[in-house]
Amino acid sequence: MRVMLISAVAAILVATGAAFFLGQEQRFAYQAFATTGARVTPSSNLVGPRWTGDPDVPSKSGQITPPPG
Amino acid sequence: MARMKFICDAERCIECNGCTTACKNEHEVPWGVNRRRLVTVNDGKPGERSVSMACMHCTDAPCAAVCPVNCFYTTGDAVVLHSKDLCIGCGYCFYACPFGAPQYPRVGNFGSRGKMDKCTYCSGGPEADLSVAEYEKYGSNRLAEGKLPLCAEMCSTKALLAGDGEVIAQIYKTRVITRGYGSGAWGWKTAYRETVAI
Amino acid sequence: MTRLLRIALAGLALALAAPAAHAQTGRDVPPPAQTQNPNGANPTAGAVTEDQLFRELNKLQGRISIPDGKAAVLEQPQGREWRAFRESWLPWIAGVAILGMAALLAIFYFTRGRIRLEHGEQSGEKILRFNSFERFTHWMVAFCFIVLAISGLNYILGKRLLMPLIGPDAFAAWSQWAKYAHNFLAWPFTLGILFMALVWLRDNIPNRIDVQWIRQGGGFLGDGHPHAERFNAGQKIVFWTVILGGFAMFGTGLLLLFPFSAADINGMQLSQVTHATIGVLLTAAILAHIYIGTLGMEGAYDAMGSGQVDLAWARTHHDLWVEKEQAKTASGPQLRPRATPAE
Repeated sequence: MRVMLISAVAAILVATGAAFFLGQEQRFAYQAFATTGARVTPSSNLVGPRWTGDPDVPSKSGQITPPPG
Repeated sequence: MARMKFICDAERCIECNGCTTACKNEHEVPWGVNRRRLVTVNDGKPGERSVSMACMHCTDAPCAAVCPVNCFYTTGDAVVLHSKDLCIGCGYCFYACPFGAPQYPRVGNFGSRGKMDKCTYCSGGPEADLSVAEYEKYGSNRLAEGKLPLCAEMCSTKALLAGDGEVIAQIYKTRVITRGYGSGAWGWKTAYRETVAI
Repeated sequence: MTRLLRIALAGLALALAAPAAHAQTGRDVPPPAQTQNPNGANPTAGAVTEDQLFRELNKLQGRISIPDGKAAVLEQPQGREWRAFRESWLPWIAGVAILGMAALLAIFYFTRGRIRLEHGEQSGEKILRFNSFERFTHWMVAFCFIVLAISGLNYILGKRLLMPLIGPDAFAAWSQWAKYAHNFLAWPFTLGILFMALVWLRDNIPNRIDVQWIRQGGGFLGDGHPHAERFNAGQKIVFWTVILGGFAMFGTGLLLLFPFSAADINGMQLSQVTHATIGVLLTAAILAHIYIGTLGMEGAYDAMGSGQVDLAWARTHHDLWVEKEQAKTASGPQLRPRATPAE
């Protein structure tokens, strides 16, 4: 009887572990089925309002605080 | 009661993706979830054709039949809708759907793929018409406002038509007769077990 | 001059407009042949049509601009075949397999009755049949299997049997939890199957004694007890059913857990068909195993319950194994009458 209980507990523990590790592997549709080209983030691929227009002067977009959230 | 259908005239579709963009914007569909998509057949070869595809709102819908929790229902206008409250994210509807319409927020099927999302024919879900809850789960409900799906309304070449099946079939038929050719009413035989006889 | 030009232009316009007007007049005009159209040439000479593609291919595929490979399948009418399997065949396969097995077991119970301990099967002396790790493995697989079978059958029969009783909301909530249990208990199940294969494979290689055992009907039909080693042919069949079935369930289940990672849409459908069919057959087979291990045979449950069986019972049912164990005792402590439960 004790072995039965231990085995049930062990099964639940392994299942919880599997749930945890698989949860790490889970990908969302917005990660898997969208390219970075579809994402516009003011800190990386937008020049932002402080763009000088001079290609030699690096854009100051990095200074822009990203939108909250 | 109208029997709502979609038809895509592949002779007119120019693969501009206006329909997919209209759909995404109207319903605020998240990235990676594509209620409507454009598939180009024979790409780059002479005679390639692009077809805009979404849920065809099948007669005797396979998705509804295979759903293990029966979350699908058909409205009076023959639009196939589903309840996101009941959906368990098993992914079965995608295996049954001939058109690849169901979309899931998560890729892996362990635990849940999340609540399935698909074209609602711009007519929301089981929640009260035009309510906030309905908009958050299913997007806007244009049908309740007396408007047709935005993808078809916005189509720049009027390749994609939405509306009563008889009416849009007649429009398509007239076009084919007028210009003398057509590549078929894509998906109709599979979805409605009938085609537009020319 | 300008007047003349205007008349000429008007005439030209009329001449050009005539065929178009004719074509627009309506629906009664018979459709022109495919090679003719108002422009004279057929721009669709090489164009694909849906009909023609379906004649050549079983599904329509194309190019898509979103990074989602499965979206490139435009149409796959096989979905309807899969639906026919899942909705028309599968409930019947499941129902016939499980209810059929239950009926068979009931018939067996009411005709043959419970296989009682015979007079000489209670010596009071015990022999260790399954050590604690073997029992642990067995019960882990058993516990997982029961949950997996119930949650699996819920996919097939739940909406037909349970949903009308508890309503769609409660049923959806239950199904969601059943799905979590199904997806995650699959892993300890597989681990248990792996352990099981490791500890019992040695004793489950079929041999000539099994042929003899089967020929004598395993002792079910007559009164005699055919020779058996640690596992008789019936138990070996259960072992191989569980091992092969278990790994098949794991393989197809893995494809279903990671959809479209290794299979296309038809591959996914095939995985589900295989998974569901083997699953219901395995459930039916395990019903028989549960029956014979508990209700069907007196004394059999102890082997998995406490791990110890009566020496006389073991002599009757697994004579060759007892002989071997007792031969070992001469050189080691394999046989421990009233051994401490090795937990």
